[in-house]
Amino acid sequence: MTAFLRRSHRERGIDLLFVAPTLALLAGFLFYPLLYGIVLSVHDTKGFDLTSFVGLDHYAHAIFGDAVFHQALLNTVLFTAAAVVLQTGLGLILAVLVADVRRGRTFWRFAFFAPFVLASVAVGAVWKFLYAPYFGVVPTVGSAFGFNTQTFAPLADAHWALWAIMAAFLWRFVGFSMVVYLAAIQALPREYYEHAHLEGAGRFQLFRRVTWPLLWPQTFVLVLLTTLGTLRIFDMVWLMTQGGPEHATETVATDIYSTAFRFLQVGYAQAMAMILLVVILVLTLVEYRLLNRRAEAVSA
Amino acid sequence: MTRLPRLRWSTALLSVLAAAWLYPVAWTLSNAIKSSADIYRAPWDVPWPPAIGNIGEAWSRGQLGVALANSTFVTAMTVAGVLVLAVSGAYSLTRLRPPFRAALLILVLAPLIIPTEVLIVPLFSMFRALGLINSLPGLALTNIVGSISFATVILTGYFRTIPQDLIDAARVDGAGRIEVLLRIVVPLARPGILAVAILVAVLTWNDFAGPLVLIQKPDAFTVQLALTRFSTLYATDQGLTFAGMAIVILPPFLLFLVFQRSFIQGLTAGVVRH
Repeated sequence: MTAFLRRSHRERGIDLLFVAPTLALLAGFLFYPLLYGIVLSVHDTKGFDLTSFVGLDHYAHAIFGDAVFHQALLNTVLFTAAAVVLQTGLGLILAVLVADVRRGRTFWRFAFFAPFVLASVAVGAVWKFLYAPYFGVVPTVGSAFGFNTQTFAPLADAHWALWAIMAAFLWRFVGFSMVVYLAAIQALPREYYEHAHLEGAGRFQLFRRVTWPLLWPQTFVLVLLTTLGTLRIFDMVWLMTQGGPEHATETVATDIYSTAFRFLQVGYAQAMAMILLVVILVLTLVEYRLLNRRAEAVSA
Repeated sequence: MTRLPRLRWSTALLSVLAAAWLYPVAWTLSNAIKSSADIYRAPWDVPWPPAIGNIGEAWSRGQLGVALANSTFVTAMTVAGVLVLAVSGAYSLTRLRPPFRAALLILVLAPLIIPTEVLIVPLFSMFRALGLINSLPGLALTNIVGSISFATVILTGYFRTIPQDLIDAARVDGAGRIEVLLRIVVPLARPGILAVAILVAVLTWNDFAGPLVLIQKPDAFTVQLALTRFSTLYATDQGLTFAGMAIVILPPFLLFLVFQRSFIQGLTAGVVRH
């Protein structure tokens, strides 16, 4: 018996070895940089070399004295909140619509998912054209709603810029939420619907009482993934506005990039990065706590 | 009869939305064969003869050949690295028992929660010390770290559907672990592996932030960097910019078109099973 146990321990040890390369890679290129990042964030730097220890000065300055960082943090959280609600909501609406039609599902799915495979460099450039004053499609359509096509430039307008980027962002990523929901809707047991239908439930009632609660595990995963994916947003913002005008679209990631690579305040940039990491951890944990119980109840 | 109007209503709504969604894609692709003066025409309004010359000129003036080779190299290395690590890691995670499995899963999931954007400064500093700035294998390494989590999670989901008895039986018959992995697990999980490969390829090809920070020398530019240089150097020649864009977005787009079913199946299966 003990021989068997020992053997099985050894067996399990060898099974463990198969995940070791991944762990080694993460140790070298994730956990080590994380630790080094903490060190960087409490130092002043010259170029990328440490000069003097400054304790929590960088953190204090970021939290209490840096209006641009405050703006970046606010923009990032607002943008993420809007992305979570709109991307998940629109994705669900599209999935319900596509599940409802009888023919050509592959085509509809393709149409909404296609932007997902386009590079952000291309998406950014194309949407800049679409938003261009006078020529662009968006100002032209906007003129129907009373905007002046020659002066309405959403990306150059501090009130509109962040939400103009949001539209491009949704266009690109809504297909992902739709595809996840669509797969789940198609796998839902028909009997639930037939049963509810016999009880005289209308279409909206069916959605509210059957579809929506049964899709909770998908909603849970999508909300978490969208939060994690959006709090780090860099590329689309950088490509469309570089954080301007007047920091109106500055996100924490663009702020980190400019601070480190343009202004070479490397230690300070890393302190901002560590604050972003804390925000990510806290928000993810809160969402997890709030949503997980219900998701598990449905899975069970 | 009463169902008919509802059906038409949702199809009509979908058609309008799909047209809006596809408009920018169609516009980009058709602008690639228009002269700058014709760019602002509607996507279906392609002047005759089309400015096919744009494509060749974009290719040579944007040095797209080198960039395409660089991106292909980085993408191939990343996909190969991720597949090897994720297949063996997922095997490990399906064989392990609860206390170990949970602990390891948390470690493997860490890159999802700690994004590269947060580590870009220390990573740059590290890469500089290691002499990996302007190195394409170095860039592939960061892409592997970024993709390894979800790849392992998706594959673990697939591997769990394989009966463990099958694996145990093969082990009793004297097959080694690697043999079991290659002869039983990999063939049975082929759809998942294909989906992961395509997803990682598309994400790596499209990556912008990684090369922006780690690559500075034009000979090592990836397609995305070549494209940004395009729009600054040839800002006045928009036909050329669009031609460059079309060349760069086409490979992932075609990959997606050909493998649409397995790509989406793999993606959704991995996301839903958790």
